[in-house]
Amino acid sequence: MATNSLPKADLTSSGRPVFLQNEIECSILSSVDLECDDIPNFPLLKSGLLVLTTHRLLWLPDNSSSSSSSSAAAVALPLSFLTHIFSTKKSVKTLFHSPRVRFQASLDSSKSVVMTVVMRGKGDTDAFLAKFWENWRARAWENDVQTQTQAGVGSSSVSGSGPGSGSGGFYTREGAVRMVGVSGILRKEQEMWESTDKSLQEAFQDLNALMSKAKEMVILAEKMRQKLLSGSNSKSSATNDDEVGSKEEMQDWLLSVGIVSPVTKESAGALYHQQLSRQLADYVRIPLERAGGMINLIDVYCLFNRARGTELISPDDLLRACSLWEKFDVPVMLRKFDSGVMVIQNKSHSDEEVFARIKALVTNPDTLRTGISASDAAMTLGIAPGMAKEHLLTAESKGLLCRDISPDGFRFYINLFPEINTDDVYLVKDYGIYNTWVRVASASRLE
Amino acid sequence: MRRRPGIGGLQTAAAARDQYRLVGENVAKIRTDMMKEQLATFRTQLEEFARKHKNDIRKNPAFRSQFHEMCAKVGVDPLASNKGFWAELLGIGDFYYELGVQIVEICLATRPHNGGLINLQELCILLRQRKSDREAVSEDDCLRAISKLKVLGSGFEVISVGKKKLVRSVPTELNKDHNEILELAQAQGFVTVEEVERRFSWTSGRAIDALDTLLDEGLAMIDDGHRDGKRRYWFPCVSSNSTPVADT
Repeated sequence: MATNSLPKADLTSSGRPVFLQNEIECSILSSVDLECDDIPNFPLLKSGLLVLTTHRLLWLPDNSSSSSSSSAAAVALPLSFLTHIFSTKKSVKTLFHSPRVRFQASLDSSKSVVMTVVMRGKGDTDAFLAKFWENWRARAWENDVQTQTQAGVGSSSVSGSGPGSGSGGFYTREGAVRMVGVSGILRKEQEMWESTDKSLQEAFQDLNALMSKAKEMVILAEKMRQKLLSGSNSKSSATNDDEVGSKEEMQDWLLSVGIVSPVTKESAGALYHQQLSRQLADYVRIPLERAGGMINLIDVYCLFNRARGTELISPDDLLRACSLWEKFDVPVMLRKFDSGVMVIQNKSHSDEEVFARIKALVTNPDTLRTGISASDAAMTLGIAPGMAKEHLLTAESKGLLCRDISPDGFRFYINLFPEINTDDVYLVKDYGIYNTWVRVASASRLE
Repeated sequence: MRRRPGIGGLQTAAAARDQYRLVGENVAKIRTDMMKEQLATFRTQLEEFARKHKNDIRKNPAFRSQFHEMCAKVGVDPLASNKGFWAELLGIGDFYYELGVQIVEICLATRPHNGGLINLQELCILLRQRKSDREAVSEDDCLRAISKLKVLGSGFEVISVGKKKLVRSVPTELNKDHNEILELAQAQGFVTVEEVERRFSWTSGRAIDALDTLLDEGLAMIDDGHRDGKRRYWFPCVSSNSTPVADT
């Protein structure tokens, strides 16, 4: 039953597509319908987001506008399925219609279908079409297989290259003659270095040269890195090893958090802030976890920009992306303190949870009598005193606590007033916090 | 190699092995040297490209990701705008934003050692090290870059302790130094600056800053009247007369 033969696309928790390895997002359009008359029961894919990557064409339901029934699931069409893109005919009719792009794809080997992309949004149709063509022709998916095998060869040669092991085939080409003996090894080394020098020179002649040689250079960079890492571990510790080591550490840290396909103004257009916001929500999860559920916004600014490489975003853009979270269903939130400090925190790290812990803290028999100070709360909750004070004051403003100002400083007590019946203030029920407090207080008076 | 019997044979074999090892070590050394040289060229070239062709690189997403990968692998900072005339004059352009990212990064990297408090001078020195041969970054540039971060809240600020200027990257709300001081104070009810520095081996700025914040928060009180002339910071809230709170 080939009713819906379009593959499903995975989405992250904040609604961004999950990309394949080496897949890069190139363009996003909003309010796009995907239609196909050739497949019976083709799902209704109306006014969603269309994402063009180097590998696929993705259609996502647009859940930012609550009105649209987002029942349709996200789908993806690998560009490798495409057999033809029809050129758009300019006619009087097209002036009145929403721009559309038609293409032919073979979903299974037997039959091919024609699909239509209808763009009801304001996006630049021509630019999209140009990119569509470009990415289809570039056939990026074919390179993946190649790169993987090449990388495999590279790493194996690196691992097996002790001093003088001879196999050090750093940039061995297929045609290289294998020579025997020590002199052979030496000559091979020499040739290798020369060829590397040459390819480096060629690649950095101008930007176009670098672009065409980019993949080679990435592999070279990886090899150098591996080599240096293994070199600094072994006995040959040169004088400036420390410097290299520290640099290595730094870049390891950066590498671990890289965003391959950063949302940019150019790719996302009008959807820039919305998509940026979602990407940030996905990205921030790991740093947030490391920081213990709360992280300074400025730290995130640095980490996020580092992960984006050259695609720097301004502090204003970051702030806007964070403030958009209120509208989406994401697990993180922006929090502003009265002191002007802004942090990002998990929603689970929310006030309710903290209040529950504070309440438990102030209702045990000792603290019912003595109350708690900000430093008590800080030590028990394991947070900074400034933070603890903030929480206590919020809890006070919610009516959970009352304050007492004395020479000992601020102390906070549980607020008993909600439990007291205004009609009969002397009535103490034989349960509840008020009752416990009365018993504790009278016991202490007897002492 | 064919094995020959006898002591002589063993000696020859050992000598041959030594020879091979020597050659091998030589080759390995040359190899690392060459490697470092090529890596250096790679780095300078990449840096130059990052600076010159920034906009072209950004136009092509597929190439951009490869470029990032190269930069990350050989340890090149892809943020490398020149300051330029307009940045100097009006503060526009990416220069100060990029500097801001680099400053925060240094603060993050040194935080385990200094608790998020770094001398402005030290910061500049670290920045210059990373910027290699290009124009020097002045303290004024740093201050301007930091002021651009103001939009993101007051969690990052320049404070003065004595004559020194310090950059604080940990806001009070997230500062765990205060907890350590409170714990220390539990023993006697008070601490002195010297004691804090000695016990935690902090720099003097870090201790003074933390104690000042605790004063501002109303958690500490100053006592200058003691005989040894050292200022004592009393913490009434943790002193022995209040009951220690059991962990919930």
